[in-house]
Amino acid sequence: MNEFITVFQNRQDMLLESTLEHLQISMISLIIAIIIAVPLGLYLTRYPKAAEPVIGTSAVLQTIPSLAVLAFLIPFFGIGTTPAIIALVLYGLLPILRNTYTGIKEVDPALKEAATGMGMNFLKRLTKVELPIAMPVIMAGIRTSMVLIVGTTTIAALIGAGGLGDIILLGLDRGADVNLILLGAIPAALLAILLDLILRLFEKISRKAGIKSFIAMLIIAVLIVLTPFMFNDSRQPDLVIGGKMGSEPDILINMYKLLIEEETGLHVGLEPNLGKTAFVFSALQQGSIDIFPEFTGTAIVTHLEEQAQSNDARDVYEQAKQGMKEEFGMELLEPMDFNNTYAVATTEEMAEQYGLQEIGDLKQIENDITAGFTLEFNDRYDGYVGMQEVYDLDIADIKTMEPGIRQNALSNGEVDVIDAYATDSYMIELNLVTLDDPENLFPPYQGAPLMRDDTLEEYPELEGILNQLSGKITDDEMRQMNYQVDYEDRSPNEVAREYLVNEGLLDN
Amino acid sequence: MIEFKNVTKIYDDGTEAIKDFSLEVRKGEIMTIIGPSGCGKTTTMKMINRLIEPTSGSIYINDKNIKDYNIHELRWNIGYVLQQIALFPHMTIEENISIVPELKKWSKKDIERRSHELLEMVGLDPSIYKQRMPSELSGGQQQRIGVIRALAADPDIIVMDEPFSALDPISRVQLQHDIKKLQKEIKKTIVFVTHDIDEALKLGDRICFMQKGRIVQLDEPEQLVMNPGNEFVKDFLGDRKSPWQISVDSILDQHTAYIIPTADDHTNIYPTEGTFVLEDENKYYKGFIVNGKMINARTLESKMTLYDAAEILSSSDQNLFPVLEGEKLAGVLTYQRIIEYLRSKTGKENGVIRQ
Repeated sequence: MNEFITVFQNRQDMLLESTLEHLQISMISLIIAIIIAVPLGLYLTRYPKAAEPVIGTSAVLQTIPSLAVLAFLIPFFGIGTTPAIIALVLYGLLPILRNTYTGIKEVDPALKEAATGMGMNFLKRLTKVELPIAMPVIMAGIRTSMVLIVGTTTIAALIGAGGLGDIILLGLDRGADVNLILLGAIPAALLAILLDLILRLFEKISRKAGIKSFIAMLIIAVLIVLTPFMFNDSRQPDLVIGGKMGSEPDILINMYKLLIEEETGLHVGLEPNLGKTAFVFSALQQGSIDIFPEFTGTAIVTHLEEQAQSNDARDVYEQAKQGMKEEFGMELLEPMDFNNTYAVATTEEMAEQYGLQEIGDLKQIENDITAGFTLEFNDRYDGYVGMQEVYDLDIADIKTMEPGIRQNALSNGEVDVIDAYATDSYMIELNLVTLDDPENLFPPYQGAPLMRDDTLEEYPELEGILNQLSGKITDDEMRQMNYQVDYEDRSPNEVAREYLVNEGLLDN
Repeated sequence: MIEFKNVTKIYDDGTEAIKDFSLEVRKGEIMTIIGPSGCGKTTTMKMINRLIEPTSGSIYINDKNIKDYNIHELRWNIGYVLQQIALFPHMTIEENISIVPELKKWSKKDIERRSHELLEMVGLDPSIYKQRMPSELSGGQQQRIGVIRALAADPDIIVMDEPFSALDPISRVQLQHDIKKLQKEIKKTIVFVTHDIDEALKLGDRICFMQKGRIVQLDEPEQLVMNPGNEFVKDFLGDRKSPWQISVDSILDQHTAYIIPTADDHTNIYPTEGTFVLEDENKYYKGFIVNGKMINARTLESKMTLYDAAEILSSSDQNLFPVLEGEKLAGVLTYQRIIEYLRSKTGKENGVIRQ
């Protein structure tokens, strides 16, 4: 609890900002969903034949996992708030649409006939009779939708839309830091409750004051939500640099920004902590980001879907550079020194007890140990599949888990070995030992700036600027910097600046 | 006032609901439309306020085709009372009553005065009921509101679609009574659809009896009962024809012992005990003898209903009544005979005595 309070105090500013972002994204999405779904629902009551297909379609939209919807939208809308809002609107449609349709349809036909027979026209009948009577059902739909949207908005952080998801993702990335996750999750829940109360109040007022007041309230809500946009006159960046989830890419993109802004007049925007590799890559293709640090190994295995032809770092880089150029028209600049490759890690005690130095040493205890691997590692040739073949291993018990929780499982003693990334900061915090890979099973994963050709054509000076980092930053330096951000709570920008200054790449 | 000219209605599914239907509803009368379900009575009514459009033929109100009126204005001037009552559940009683006046853009003050007046007219205290919600009222009270809602904007015409059929028998009778009373004050032209023959007979100035989309009989209530147009109407009236409606000559006492001839010689010698009726050889009524004395007796007319006769019976201490057909004696009616007759018209089923 004390720890949570400390985390809360340290992150108050971030929390406030994230909550406001979260509120804004949720509200905009909800309002758009209402503006689309309520009239559509009303329209469908006049054309019941069209109703089932339309409502069915919106139901199908809801069954698509939110991550998949986001991935699907990036090629068209890039990253950031727009695709997030589109996805959230799609999610929010169904409950409102269905409840509007049902609510209006269920209005007693005798009441409709009475209204018509008394000489009300279509609009009068709708606003004086049908909508007020259907209102509780419609509002129930809107409230369901609201909870759904507020909850799903946390995922929007994966594509750089911000919100409380940022804090939750950060917590997950920092080895499932419960305090951080709660710091994101609790306000999200409170937000849902608060909005529910407001919506109920809306409903109550509109029941007393009629449908006009409801529309008036909706307009006020739109204005409140949109106001921040009107005063948001921050300069549009010339270049946007994106980064994957985690402190390492965050530090690197800050270095890029510092270097570029130091030597050119360009204004650089950052999009840190973008979810999955695929999201960042399609954002680069689509153009909503211009540069991101990618690993040579990932370029080959994930983007080019090839095998590394060599285990030599230089050869791997050349293969990646050529492949990215030919396949995607992208430029992979010179790599830095550090190699964030896969590593097999274990605790110091374990290594001492069994004299473990190389991966092959696990053979002697393969029947007694439990391994905690990520799903991806377990399934890759440059992962456990290769370990079985190259080192002839057959570990008795393998548990697959999310990357963020492996290290805790290891330090808790639930598993004995894990796959790790060589420069991850918890190596230091948890005193882990990496096992050598004498057969060079794991290809090199060196970080290098990846950008589209057209970006380089437009700003040819970038090559020289970013290549200043070429061959710099050793494994240990990277690990230390990650540690400072993850465990000492220093800002990535500060850490990046310090390194560049020390290296003489940046004036104070 | 309202005139149907050769109106036909064929529904989309091919059902011929109304066939070449012509009818004139007079100003200020209550026309009840009755018939078995599916006879087209509700369709007929709903064509007046254009909830249903005729397939062919025309309907006129005040000699103007209803299609030539603005449809909304037409409906504002035709009060509509529904079987389902259909008060708007989200509005107060006052708001429900105010709907059409508001549509007609009456001033707030006029609307308020009007709803006050209407509530008082049906015996509901405005200060109590104005702000109530429909669900807080009993069924009978709700339909009272339904009726005054139709009256609110003072329309010339009111159409009612089986308005009391969903009510309990006591409320129903009370509302029928109220309508009858109200009509004396307001003198509207009312088209009242019902499937209850008692209701139709009780309320209608005229009754339009429909069967299979056509008018079978259009008559005043008494005429319909006394002279049903065909077997179907007769069946429909059926047991509903009260035994009290029989004419007294149908239930004469068959005993002739009460009737004695007038003495030829005018000696005036009659039995000194008992009651007798005198007739001459030509069957003319000649007098009434009680204990040997001739008295001036009350007599009944042969075509008089038993119900009307009962009024005379109850105001007289005679136990025997001469029934006359003009000057001639048709027979004698006794209390004993009346009791016998009424009992013969009454059955006992499952321990329950019913007509």
